[in-house]
Amino acid sequence: MSRKQENENIKKEVIITGFGGQGIVLAGSILGKAAALGDHLESTLVQSYGPESRGGACSAQVVISNLPIHYPYIRTPDILVCMSQSAYEKYADQLKPDTLLLIDQDLVRPMPGCGDYYAIPATRIAEELGRKMMANIIMIGFVTSISKIVSEEAARNSIRDSVPKGTEEANIKAFRKGFEYGLAILKGREKKASGHTGAIA
Amino acid sequence: MDKSNIILFLCNWGPHTAFQLLQDKGADIPYEIKMVRIPCSGRINKSLLLKAFEKGADGVALVGCSSGACRYGNGTDIAGTNIADTRSILKLMGLGEDRLRHATFLPDEADALLTFLTDFAGDIREMRKTPVASPMPSLPENRSVDFLRGILTKHDVYACQDCGKCSSSCPLTLIGKPFSPRGIVNSLIAGDIDDPSVQNDIWSCLTCGLCYDRCPSAVNFPDFIRDIRCHIISLGNPVRETHNGFFQSLMRIMTSPEVKTQKWAWVPEEIKLDDNSPILFFGGCAPYFDAFFRHHLGVETTNILKDSLRLLNFFDIKPALLENERCCGHDLLWAGDEANFLKLAALNVDMIHSRNIEEVVTACPECFRTLSHDYPERGIPVRFKVTHIYDFLEREIDKGGVDFKKFRKTITYQDSCRLSRFDNRADLPRRLIKRLKPDGFHEMPENGRAAVCCGNSAWIGCDSYSKALQVKRLRQSRANGGNLLVTSCPKCQIHLRCAMEDPFLGDELAVEIRDLTSIIAETINWA
Ligand code: SF4
Ligand code: SF4
Ligand code: SF4
Repeated sequence: MSRKQENENIKKEVIITGFGGQGIVLAGSILGKAAALGDHLESTLVQSYGPESRGGACSAQVVISNLPIHYPYIRTPDILVCMSQSAYEKYADQLKPDTLLLIDQDLVRPMPGCGDYYAIPATRIAEELGRKMMANIIMIGFVTSISKIVSEEAARNSIRDSVPKGTEEANIKAFRKGFEYGLAILKGREKKASGHTGAIA
Repeated sequence: MDKSNIILFLCNWGPHTAFQLLQDKGADIPYEIKMVRIPCSGRINKSLLLKAFEKGADGVALVGCSSGACRYGNGTDIAGTNIADTRSILKLMGLGEDRLRHATFLPDEADALLTFLTDFAGDIREMRKTPVASPMPSLPENRSVDFLRGILTKHDVYACQDCGKCSSSCPLTLIGKPFSPRGIVNSLIAGDIDDPSVQNDIWSCLTCGLCYDRCPSAVNFPDFIRDIRCHIISLGNPVRETHNGFFQSLMRIMTSPEVKTQKWAWVPEEIKLDDNSPILFFGGCAPYFDAFFRHHLGVETTNILKDSLRLLNFFDIKPALLENERCCGHDLLWAGDEANFLKLAALNVDMIHSRNIEEVVTACPECFRTLSHDYPERGIPVRFKVTHIYDFLEREIDKGGVDFKKFRKTITYQDSCRLSRFDNRADLPRRLIKRLKPDGFHEMPENGRAAVCCGNSAWIGCDSYSKALQVKRLRQSRANGGNLLVTSCPKCQIHLRCAMEDPFLGDELAVEIRDLTSIIAETINWA
């Protein structure tokens, strides 16, 4: 997304959702900051926790726009990122036909006939990297390459500024994993669309 | 100097009579022809044919009796097969298959023989001198005791505690061969390099490195044995080459700078290549192996190269190929011929450096080891990164987006000593195997770093104990319910298949063998 075409309002509404402790709100804030500080767009963040405290439902609503934002709440997101089944079920029936759905494939099982979505085993990859808590950063990488809602560089810088000191490199590595995973998925779709499915002709 | 040399292997029976007739008549036999009288054309095997070229022959003719007139029954047929195989190898090597001819004559066909010889000599004059440089140089002889001591010191062999752990881990000793790694050490420490046990055993070691893993004094046997071999060769002692030295001749011929190999002719058309790519695919010797073993084992190791190229393309890499690629020299080095190894290394590295290559990808564990490790260690620095195709694949697959089709086999895996033990990468092929979707994957009792050798290394010292090792390994692979043995090295495949040729044990040992790269290429797809 870019700042161009001043008169045309390009607005994207993103909901990131999962359960408490997954770093959902941090992910939302990283995304919003990347848009505002890195890509020089407007952004807002609203966070909400469910009635249960830790481990309960949790979501971050991020609006990114090239024009001032007057209302920060979201009803039907353009992009929905789900990191838990209950969060997914809560939003599943509110989606627009063109809502971009991104999920952690080990935590969310989409309903039959729900349409297209992009899946990544973010938590599993984080575990392989040795830090389960970084699943949110991997997810940001995935969102960045699939949706291009913020630029890669802005996302990186925002991560660097937002994570605890000393963990920057590990988090950037996690970001890259998610980002490359997204690129690979897009490439795979492109290849399949052009009829190149396997390695042997 | 410019005079051509043509070796005429002439069967003692039918055609020799014709040749004598020509001599009696004082016929004008072309002056280049050097006749070697042989008992039967079927006895001139591929190694003898190639040896003639290694020694500088410009042309070789094998002339025997007409089919059906062979005194021994099948000599003419055998000769035909040997000629066909060797011709295809000469073609791959870029020497030109037409430098080798086969013909048959009856005793009374003197005129036809003369025509054949005159035509052949004319053709060879037209083809000009062979590009093979001759004679091959060797290392200077060094008989001094200090030189031998230097090798012993370099590898700290004096630290041997005589504990016997090497013997108790050596697959050759365990299979029953009267062979003792520390026996070699003891004789050499005593300065007894001419001891028959040293002269014999030095060529038997598989340089597999199992003993090095176990030795409390960290005596690096493979490296030590290799250096002793280099030394022994310089003293003019014979090497126990298998296949009568065919592969040694092949490698030595490629040390000639003028030789221009043509080993890529088989590359399928759909493969996308790019001459300006910074990534080079280094193939290795599989096409030569397939030509040599065609009638014997039916191996198709060139498929590993095809499938590697396909996988590079699958991940959008269009690699460059080295038009004039030589053997990496692994087997010359490990068989002690360091001088010729260095020539191959320098030729390969110069060609690669002249092309602004940043990364060399190879699917052969031995090429990988040799380019990345032995070239720099032996004084030929490389300015490119060397990547085994498994590392490339693991990196790309790990990015996501790809999936694997179900693979309906229960597999076992034969480790490559160069990758799993020398480079300590036993985990790498296993990570890839675990991504596949086979019916099952069972490890053999000895696996990973502890895996047992496929039975031969560097085309030397193959004997009945090598065979016993292979039989043991094949039985193991079947014992745990596997119906597909997966390999990483083309040579593991060749040596293990060799044991399956056994006329008595054949069926009991038969198991399908496939290379891991090929299985990945067959089952990978975009998710
Ligand atoms: S294992 Fe090592 S120390 Fe023991 S006998 Fe063998 S070489 Fe010597
Ligand atoms: S390198 Fe292998 S074959 Fe050679 S002595 Fe050691 S264990 Fe035996
Ligand atoms: S095992 Fe067979 S193919 Fe291998 S070196 Fe020995 S004889 Fe040759």
